[in-house]
Amino acid sequence: MIDRVRGSRGALPRLAPLALVLGIAAATWIWPAENADGLSTANPDRSAATQVDEAFDALPPDALVLVAMDADLGTYPEIRGAVRAAIDDLLLRGARLAFVSYSPEGRAIAAAELERRGDSAALLDLGFVAGAEAALVRSVSDILPAGAGAGGEIASAIRSGGSGIGAFDMALLVGGSDIGPRSWVEQVGTRLPQLPMVAIVPTFAQPEIAPYLRSGQLTAVLATARDDAAFVEVTRSGDALRASDVPSSVAMLIGAVVALAAIAVALAGSIGPAGSAASSPDAAESDEAEP
Amino acid sequence: MNAFFGEGIAGSVATWVAALVTIGVWAYLVGERRLFGLAQHLLAGLATGYLVLLAVREVLIPRLLVPLATDPAGNLLLWPALALVAAMAAAHWLPRPVVAVPVAVLVGSTAAFALGGAVAGTILPQLAASLLQPDAGATGVVNGAIGLVITAVVLFGFLHGVPRGRMVGTVARGGRWVLLAGVGGWLGFLVVSRLALLVDRVGFLLGDWLGLVR
Repeated sequence: MIDRVRGSRGALPRLAPLALVLGIAAATWIWPAENADGLSTANPDRSAATQVDEAFDALPPDALVLVAMDADLGTYPEIRGAVRAAIDDLLLRGARLAFVSYSPEGRAIAAAELERRGDSAALLDLGFVAGAEAALVRSVSDILPAGAGAGGEIASAIRSGGSGIGAFDMALLVGGSDIGPRSWVEQVGTRLPQLPMVAIVPTFAQPEIAPYLRSGQLTAVLATARDDAAFVEVTRSGDALRASDVPSSVAMLIGAVVALAAIAVALAGSIGPAGSAASSPDAAESDEAEP
Repeated sequence: MNAFFGEGIAGSVATWVAALVTIGVWAYLVGERRLFGLAQHLLAGLATGYLVLLAVREVLIPRLLVPLATDPAGNLLLWPALALVAAMAAAHWLPRPVVAVPVAVLVGSTAAFALGGAVAGTILPQLAASLLQPDAGATGVVNGAIGLVITAVVLFGFLHGVPRGRMVGTVARGGRWVLLAGVGGWLGFLVVSRLALLVDRVGFLLGDWLGLVR
């Protein structure tokens, strides 16, 4: 009996690739690409998206916005749609954007995003600034790199505003790496309390960032997939987001099937004598010596 | 969907490499560890090469060497910086007291910035935001009281190894469950976010690589 169970469990992983290929083929055959709508939420909570929208509304015409791109390569796909929607929305509002990164991974993402958008007079690349939090403090007074196009319109505007972060009307903080919105609040927010800061972070950073929104140190935060989806829908109504940036519902379906299969395999592996000793807070309690 | 890869042969090669590496990483799910290990080594090698390139091209040359070469007298502070860099680079051959100086500067300044920022930017403002304001109204008072009770109960949950009575033990147990409820709620969001990452990879394979979906 045990051998039969072990045998069936061993066959499951071997059949998984075949099942995956068949599932993908079946899904794409049943659900052709032209019928695939973009991903959307059934009951979105738009409060976070509205806060970001209101923060953008408060910007002056021709606003100068600093995009601090310090996302993490592993989690950036989670927030990529919201980040691109925010950038598109700002550009549609006539804002001028300057990209800067304080983390190596963020620099790679910023370079890719800038390359994707091509040359534009509304975009300026301030590059990578080494030095983590010390570099942030230095950027408060001087953020322009030595060779930043002396004749560039955005560079000139920054220079006329004091050459530091104070020259900007807003900072859009894309977090995920070690240098993120918390570092900005602690190092820049304390020195430039009047600078509005909007953060877009992956879900894992939400517990860390949420208190700063409630204390007013951040103007708005997008921190969960639900917030991101709601924000993308809000900006999509203004044609700010290209349809191709919205995750495909076919990919969502297949991803859900694959995730369920992985969870099922993991559960099948954990159920048994070793996995039955589930721990609980009370189990931890029993380890302690009561008086 | 990702649109990170440009048109042309370079974009096609990049897309194929990304797709094959993605499948190689997923091969771990079916017990194929060699492809997964290869992908890990590839990532480590690429990351190291990228960091070296970034340090040389965007830090050392434009921010240290070029200013020193073009205006050595106007960048006096960069000379000690260059000396510190040299000391760090030659740490293997230099006496420990010499190497300790740049390391001490690095660690000390990092700690100072982090500590100062944490106190001025997090602890004090968060304490101020947690205090009940006189004009908070009834809702604010209730919210503040709930926050106070939850904080106290959870803190009791961390009472380990000290004598305690039945009531304190009950409160501590309740604190742990409250803590677990909070972590569980956050983990729910986290599962959704990881699913979004998986969907992104599936979308990349189906759309950017195979062209089956948009």
